[in-house]
Parts: sequence; C-alpha cells; structure tokens
Amino acid sequence: MSQPISVQNLRAWYGNQLTLKGIDMELPASQVTAIIGPSGCGKSTFIRCLNRMHETVPGARVEGDVHLGTEDLYKGDPVDVRRMIGMVFQKPNPFPTLSIFDNIALGLRLGGMRNRGQLREAVERSLQMAALWGEVKDRLSEPATSLSGGQQQRLCIARAIAVQPEVLLMDEPASALDPVSTLRVEELVEQLKDTYTIVIVTHNMQQAARVADETAFFLNGELVEFADTTTIFTNPGDKRTEDYITGRFG
Amino acid sequence: MRKVSSGTKTADTVFHVATGIAASSPVVLLLAIAAVVVVQSIPSIRLMGWHFITGIEWNVGDTYGALMHKNGVTAAAGASFGALPFIVGTLASSVIALLIAIPVALFTALILAYRLRGWVQWILSILVELLAGIPSVVIGLWGMVVLAPFVAHGLGPALTHVGVVIPYLRGPVGTGMGLLTSGIVLAVMVVPIITATTRDLLQQVPVLYREGGIGLGMTTWEVVRYIAVPYIREGFIGAVALGWGRAMGETMAVLMVSGNAINFLPHNLYSPISSMAAVIASQLDSAMSDGSGMAVHALSELALVLLVLTLFTNLLARLLVSRVHHRRRGVRA
Ligand SMILES: Nc1ncnc2c1ncn2[C@@H]1O[C@H](COP(=O)(O)OP(=O)(O)O)[C@@H](O)[C@H]1O
Ligand SMILES: [Mg+2]
Repeated sequence: MSQPISVQNLRAWYGNQLTLKGIDMELPASQVTAIIGPSGCGKSTFIRCLNRMHETVPGARVEGDVHLGTEDLYKGDPVDVRRMIGMVFQKPNPFPTLSIFDNIALGLRLGGMRNRGQLREAVERSLQMAALWGEVKDRLSEPATSLSGGQQQRLCIARAIAVQPEVLLMDEPASALDPVSTLRVEELVEQLKDTYTIVIVTHNMQQAARVADETAFFLNGELVEFADTTTIFTNPGDKRTEDYITGRFG
Repeated sequence: MRKVSSGTKTADTVFHVATGIAASSPVVLLLAIAAVVVVQSIPSIRLMGWHFITGIEWNVGDTYGALMHKNGVTAAAGASFGALPFIVGTLASSVIALLIAIPVALFTALILAYRLRGWVQWILSILVELLAGIPSVVIGLWGMVVLAPFVAHGLGPALTHVGVVIPYLRGPVGTGMGLLTSGIVLAVMVVPIITATTRDLLQQVPVLYREGGIGLGMTTWEVVRYIAVPYIREGFIGAVALGWGRAMGETMAVLMVSGNAINFLPHNLYSPISSMAAVIASQLDSAMSDGSGMAVHALSELALVLLVLTLFTNLLARLLVSRVHHRRRGVRA
C-alpha cells in the first residue's frame, strides 16, 4: 500500500544560493502529483530533495522535514530512502555497459535476489509494466544503449519499478522524447498510479492536465499554489498561476 | 570577392609542409630507431639464433684473445649471449609492479575523483603528479637505502611464512636486492602514471549515469563497481599498458636494486635479477672494448627484444580496448 509524502518547511541550497525557500506540501498516496513552473524555479531541486539526491551534489544542503507516511526520510541512511523512492531522470540513463536484462536485474541482485528463475520473472514483470516487454523480449542480452531514446526511458522506468519502491519520482521524463514515446510514457503513468505515489515534474502544461490528479505551481523556489488539477487549470486562486497557465510568462 | 595574396598562399604552403612533417615524424622516428636496432642486431642473431632467447649464459668471451668464427660471423673466443635471465627479469619485475600498482592506483584514483573535494583533493592530486615527476635515480636510491633492508629483514621473512603454501615465496631472502624490491620500486614509479590517468577517466563518467545508480539506492561502492569502473574499462586498460611499458623500459632504478644477476634465472621472489634495460646500460661500456663488435650487437639484440615486447604489450592493450569497444558498439553517451 503506497503512502503519502508530507513536506514541511523544506529549504535547499546550492552553496550559498537559497533555491527552495520553505516548501510545505502534502502529496497524496496513489495519486499523480504534477509539479509545474518556469525553468529554473526549483522543480528538479524539489523532487531531488524527496529521495535525498540533492545532497549528493557537491556543496548542496537541505533543511526541513520530509516524511513518507510516518517515516522521517532525513533520519537514517539515504540509500534506504532511495530504495523506497524510485527516480526517473530527464534524459534516459540506462547503465551504458549493461544489457537490457542486466539493467533491470542489477538492482534486484543488489537487493538480494539470487535465484535465476525469480530474476527472469521479475525482469519480465517490470518490462511488462513499463510496456516494453513486447519490443525487447527477443533481445534481452543486447546492450541497453542499442534501444531508441523512448525505449531507453521506458527501460529506466522498468528499472525503477523492478525494485518495488513506494514512490516514483519523474523529472520531465518525456522532455527528451518524440511525441509517440511521450504518449506511451503518459499512458504508463496512468497505469502505474494505482500502485505508486507518483510525482512528475513537467514544463508541459497539457501533459500535467492529462496525467495529474493534483498540480503544484512553483515560482522562484516557492510553492505558489497546490490544488487538484482541474482547479489549477480552470480556476486558479493566484494571479501568478493564472498568468503562467495562460502563457503570459515562462 | 577578396583576392588571395601570394604571401598568404606561401604561408599556406609552408603550413601544409610543416604539418606534413610533424604528422609523419612519429612514424619516421619509430622506423629509424627500429631500423638501427635491427641492423645492429643481425650479427648477434646469426651467431646465437634462438639460443639468444632460450640461453642463460651471457659471456662476452675473451676479448683480448683469439677471434672465433661461427655461422659466418666473428666474435671473441668463448662468447655466448643467452638473454633469458634478463627477459625473465624484465617480465617478472614489471608484472609484480603491475600486481601491486593496479589496485593501489585504482583505489587512489577513486578516492581522488569521488571522495575528496576542495583543497584536500587539489593537494593530493598535485602530490600524485609530483610523484610521477621524481627522477628514477632518486627512487632507486630510496629502494637501496630503505626498501632493500626492509625487504631483507621485515617483509621477506614475513612472506616466507606464507611460503609454506606458495613455493615462490620461500626463502632464502638474501640481501633484499632482487626481484621483489625491483617490483616494488617499479610499482612506486608506475602508480602515479596509472592513478593520474584513471582519476581523469573517472571524472569523465557522466554524472547522469552515476545518478542512475544512486537513484536506485546503490551505495557509493556499488556505483563505482557497477557503473564507473565498467564505463572507463577501455581507458583503464590503456593506462595499465602505458604503465607496463614504462616498467619494462625503466633502467636506472632497477639497476640499483636488482642485485645484478648474471647467468642464472630467478629461483624465488627475493632472488637477484637483471632486466634487459639495466643490462644494456651497465654492460655497454665494457662491450665497447670487444674488438669483434659482437658484444655491442648482442646488446642491440637485447634492445630489439625489449622494443618488440613493449610494442607488443601496447598493441595487445589496443586490441583489448577495441574488442571491448566492439562489444559495446552502439553505445551513445
Ligand atoms: N548543480 C547545481 N549547482 C548550482 N546551482 C544549481 C544546480 N542545479 C540547479 N541550480 C540552480 O537552482 C535553481 C533551480 O534549478 P532546478 O531545480 O534545476 O530548476 P527547474 O528544474 O525548475 O528548471 C536554478 O537557479 C539553477 O540555476
Ligand atoms: Mg529541471
């Protein structure tokens, strides 16, 4: 059963530059939450704070609270947090030296799965869920990099869900993809949301409108407005949100 | 349209000729050196045949006495040139050096590239570069004064206990001048070379790929093991080949700590040895006094073998690299 994420007074820095200026947010379980906002407003920084990726950047720093259910994510080992919270990046980044099969199996093996049959099953299941199985089932031992960009991105999604996280973070997962691949990724998000709490960053407002249940609008490191997607796009409460969605800036 | 002045045209011609010369000079130099070495070796090759690389007796003969005629060439009476001990010495000491250097260099490079930041990283990086620049005589001196006694009285006796299971580690340990000390001295010289190259390679691994692993909940070590190291493998093999070539060609430091073995093969890890490079340097002077000239030809043949071996290791490394490339064809970063 997936759990909600609650964020309290989250602030993040790169060096001395304060990039997130105190975010409070409750991201509901088993829903898709979209983060929208102009480039550079802190969308990536925000979701990278949710799985403690932000602190891996040299000189970067975080303050505030992030809870998954009742668990304080900033207590304990970040490695455990990242096992619970999967991430898909803006550019497809399959492990370049590994085969399609091993790209998915590696995380499972490191998680302790040794049995070959079990591994095969889990790999197939993840590829099925990522809607990639049909295209790769006869070429599992080929390098992951032999796939097209859209297929690579779905492989990265399969890789993330194979280890059965509770949350899936997606940072503009379709921005480097062609329209057909984009559509497939969006369909995938739709299907995965029953199982996972999904947070998706996008600067494409139609995409947010299509896939998200809730939408948050960020501006200059602040959360301007957070409501259900229909409200944000039809009846925003804040003038700045309205300006953004009507295309007056950004 | 702008008119091209004849001055510009001349400059262009000069430029073309100059780049042509510059581009072909490595080939020309290599061929020239190889040609000299080969031509100089021919009499020795005719005298000794395959015995040059299978024989263990190296004896310039009676250079003041009668000349001997054999296989159509002339040499001092009783001369025999069997280079196997030197070939084995070069290979064994350089392989020991690599066995020590590879893990040390890889580990150091990982720390430099991923663990340290700011001024600590900067200082340590500079230190590695400095270490690479230390003249080999200085390292040789350290090997004689510090390392050899340590091998004789500390490390050697300790290793002989392991010798119960691994025969080559058995004693006697001797003076400390020998194979193991040569290997360690060479490792000290090779580590900075491999480290500096590997550190640069590791820093070039795209962050995006490493983040793929971090985001999946891999530990730092797992990211290194499964993403970074496989990614740089080709370059790493190249760096090791570079270090190997350096270790085989190193002359002075080995000369100082090898124990100068002549006419026998190393029998254990502490045995005195000689390397091809060291023998060429130390014997050339006396070889000049051989009126038949054969001693110099023999040393040339030794140089030829050394040249072939270093070229061969370099080619082998390239081949490995291109095979890895081939396997990973289609990789788009
Ligand atoms: N690695 C970094 N080092 C320094 N500043 C950064 C880094 N990444 C992002 N920033 C800065 O932080 C701000 C927010 O960036 P980001 O979260 O990537 O925005 P978005 O994803 O909304 O486009 C920007 O001003 C950007 O320049
Ligand atoms: Mg971004």
